[in-house]
Amino acid sequence: MTATAINPSQIPSATRARRFAQAMKGFLISPRWLFVIIALVVWQTYAVFRNSRLIPTPVKVGATMWRILTSGIFFEQLAASMTRILIGFSLAMILGTIIGILMGSRKSYDQFFKAMVILGLALPGLIYALICVMFFGISILAPVTAILAGSYPFVVINVAEGVKSLDKDLIDMSRSYKIGRGKIVRQVILPSLLPFILAAIRNGFAIAWKICTLVEVFGAVSGVGYMIKNSFDQYAVYGIVAWALMFGGVMLLIEYGLLVPAERYLARWRPKVKQVI
Amino acid sequence: MAATAVSVKDLVKCFGDLRVLDNVSFDVEESSLTTIVGFSGCGKSTLLNVLAGIETTTSGIAEVSSSKNLSARLGYVFQSPRLLPWLTIEQNLVFVRPDAVDEATHLERVHKYLEMVGLKNVRHKFPYQLSGGMQQRAGIARALCIEPAVLLMDEPFSHLDEITAGGMREEMLRIWQETRRTILFVTHDMQEAVELGDRLIMLDYHGRIFVDIKIDLPRPRNLTDRVFIEFYSDVVRHLQAMQTIRAEELAALGVS
Amino acid sequence: MSVAVNVSPNSTSLAASKRFAKSFKGIIFHKGWLAILMVLVIWQIISFFLGGRGLVPSPARTAATMWGVLASGEFFVQLGDSLVRLLIGFVLAMTLGMIVGVLMGSRWFWNEFFKDIVILGLSLPGLVYALLSVVIFGTKLLAPVMAILFASYPFIAVNIREGVKALDKDLLDMTQAYKIGKWKVVQQVIIPSLLPHILAAIRTGFTIAWKASVLTEVFGATSGIGYMIRFNFQMFAVRGILAWSLLFGGVMILIEYGILVPAERHFARWRPQILEEV
Ligand SMILES: Nc1ncnc2c1ncn2[C@@H]1O[C@H](COP(=O)(O)OP(=O)(O)O)[C@@H](O)[C@H]1O
Ligand SMILES: [Mg+2]
Repeated sequence: MTATAINPSQIPSATRARRFAQAMKGFLISPRWLFVIIALVVWQTYAVFRNSRLIPTPVKVGATMWRILTSGIFFEQLAASMTRILIGFSLAMILGTIIGILMGSRKSYDQFFKAMVILGLALPGLIYALICVMFFGISILAPVTAILAGSYPFVVINVAEGVKSLDKDLIDMSRSYKIGRGKIVRQVILPSLLPFILAAIRNGFAIAWKICTLVEVFGAVSGVGYMIKNSFDQYAVYGIVAWALMFGGVMLLIEYGLLVPAERYLARWRPKVKQVI
Repeated sequence: MAATAVSVKDLVKCFGDLRVLDNVSFDVEESSLTTIVGFSGCGKSTLLNVLAGIETTTSGIAEVSSSKNLSARLGYVFQSPRLLPWLTIEQNLVFVRPDAVDEATHLERVHKYLEMVGLKNVRHKFPYQLSGGMQQRAGIARALCIEPAVLLMDEPFSHLDEITAGGMREEMLRIWQETRRTILFVTHDMQEAVELGDRLIMLDYHGRIFVDIKIDLPRPRNLTDRVFIEFYSDVVRHLQAMQTIRAEELAALGVS
Repeated sequence: MSVAVNVSPNSTSLAASKRFAKSFKGIIFHKGWLAILMVLVIWQIISFFLGGRGLVPSPARTAATMWGVLASGEFFVQLGDSLVRLLIGFVLAMTLGMIVGVLMGSRWFWNEFFKDIVILGLSLPGLVYALLSVVIFGTKLLAPVMAILFASYPFIAVNIREGVKALDKDLLDMTQAYKIGKWKVVQQVIIPSLLPHILAAIRTGFTIAWKASVLTEVFGATSGIGYMIRFNFQMFAVRGILAWSLLFGGVMILIEYGILVPAERHFARWRPQILEEV
């Protein structure tokens, strides 16, 4: 096998442009659009055929999406939800990282927290959402607490795995070169932990926004979940679909546009980057 | 003259535009041990794969025949052991039973050849519980237990450390002399080729036969014998000639 | 580095029972109980100080409620209803997920074709499927079944896709060289190498499935665990919610760690690394 190492900075811009053009071509001429077209056609035909209030046509859903986008209401509600998610998830990151480090570094801590973490992973977000709504009503404490309780276990398992996979030989090597503590933390420990922390953010965040939606469904007067609940109460399927698709779209954008590339960049020194799809 | 076990005639094999084997022709006598050498990527594995029916020919003939009452079965020993990891060693050998052989007879053969390669007492272990050399031996036993007309071996020892490989070579020669199977042995190691073979076929960069010579050295061969060293030096000279031609071709193409 | 573990097929039953006793001892004297005990104590203290408001029931009272629903047999009635829905939906999801996963793993075309919808499916919350099914299908059996199907099939599909992609071409070539029949190759090569992935698919898919089914029952059902949780929510009975969800969560953990994880480990015993716990 001959593998030629290519340094991206050495690729002349002409080739880069050509490669970009090729990637664009690959994107445009792809079976994925076939799926979208088939799905839309089938959906439209079925909806027209059924002619039921409960099955909206894709055109109607599209129109609804356009309406809530242009009227600005989407961004208003998105901001409300995002504030809750960010506060709750930041707390979950802090708690999860602390427990994860403890579990990763000492076997006794690992055993101590394990049952709790397993239970936390297993219980559905619904329970945190319901209980927090009962305790805190429509105050911001409800979503924040529910998100904290529901997403910290996902942070814990990723961080603990990262700490467990720290290479003791590399730390010993650094010690043998008499490298200072701070430098070891910055240049040895942090770089090898970062991909795991990023994975923790990605997994935890995915849970966090789902719990936030749930809390908003049961007890809130704003936010995307509240809007979904509103549509549900009016039997407006088109509203549920429109809000869910747009919120899901934003979250996918955050995940695949921000978190996945960041993770891949931080893990670029690893031979095999695990790719979900 | 002995009967022909393998006959390859005007064999061409292309992968798309890439011509990997170009007009290869040779016949192999029954019970002989032929070594095939060449640089990596020159098409040695492809040649064996075509013979084994894993790849189709683009044109020409590559067939395995037998004068004995055996159907022309093939045993194939790969570079990596390619054992099924979820089967024990014995189950791996049982797995390849040909349809024409009944189960009891096959099981007898399985035990016979496991004994021959010295794995009988670990036959209930999973592959991962064995060392690389033992796994490779299991691969050899698997190839032998179907009592093949021809045994194809593709760099079977190249993943092993030199000491293990040396022992395995001796063992292979012993088994060969015991069973008199026809063997086609691919390697990129010239010394190994000269040490083992009755005959040496060297492929060039274009997948053509560059050299096809008999190795008329007495057995057992000693790597430090004068005759051995002389023969080996001859082979190396062929190799150097091939490299010179390659360099000239590349220069003519304007590649530095 | 993992140490090779000697798995001997003819280990005596005595050794097996010894091993069981040892692992049992490991569970009884596990430090994890300490954490749970601590949580219970803190919970008791909090409820003591907020006592009387009913919003924070003491662990003892919650346990009493749990015992109540268990002893009256009501838990098992509702659990039965939930499990029937769960099983029907999950079998359908496995079927769909396997088909999509095999197609995606084996052909570039189908991978591109299904990619977007599967990614979208992975990320949309079960809540959306639950609400949509309830609006469209009402309290019919179809509501939870559809929600479960659409919420969990993407997780099954990605696992199966990984498995198909991980099939070893070298091994398949080997079977061709030895002229092994097609059926035998499917039975002894393809299925065994897919099995760990199928089990992983079952495990992740199942977790998603039961959460989606509870959610559907919360919004539109007249029986089942989710319905009971909803009922207690409306009655403002925290201890009811806790009792029902802890019991149901317990059953699901039991299924996961008592059946699915051991099965996964059993079928992966030919692999050098023993599956990491949790
Ligand atoms: N299935 C395949 N498709 C395309 N090219 C192949 C395939 N198998 C082998 N090749 C190419 O054929 C050439 C010869 O390969 P191989 O026979 O494996 O060489 P070697 O002599 O090292 O065994 C190489 O350039 C390789 O890249
Ligand atoms: Mg090769």
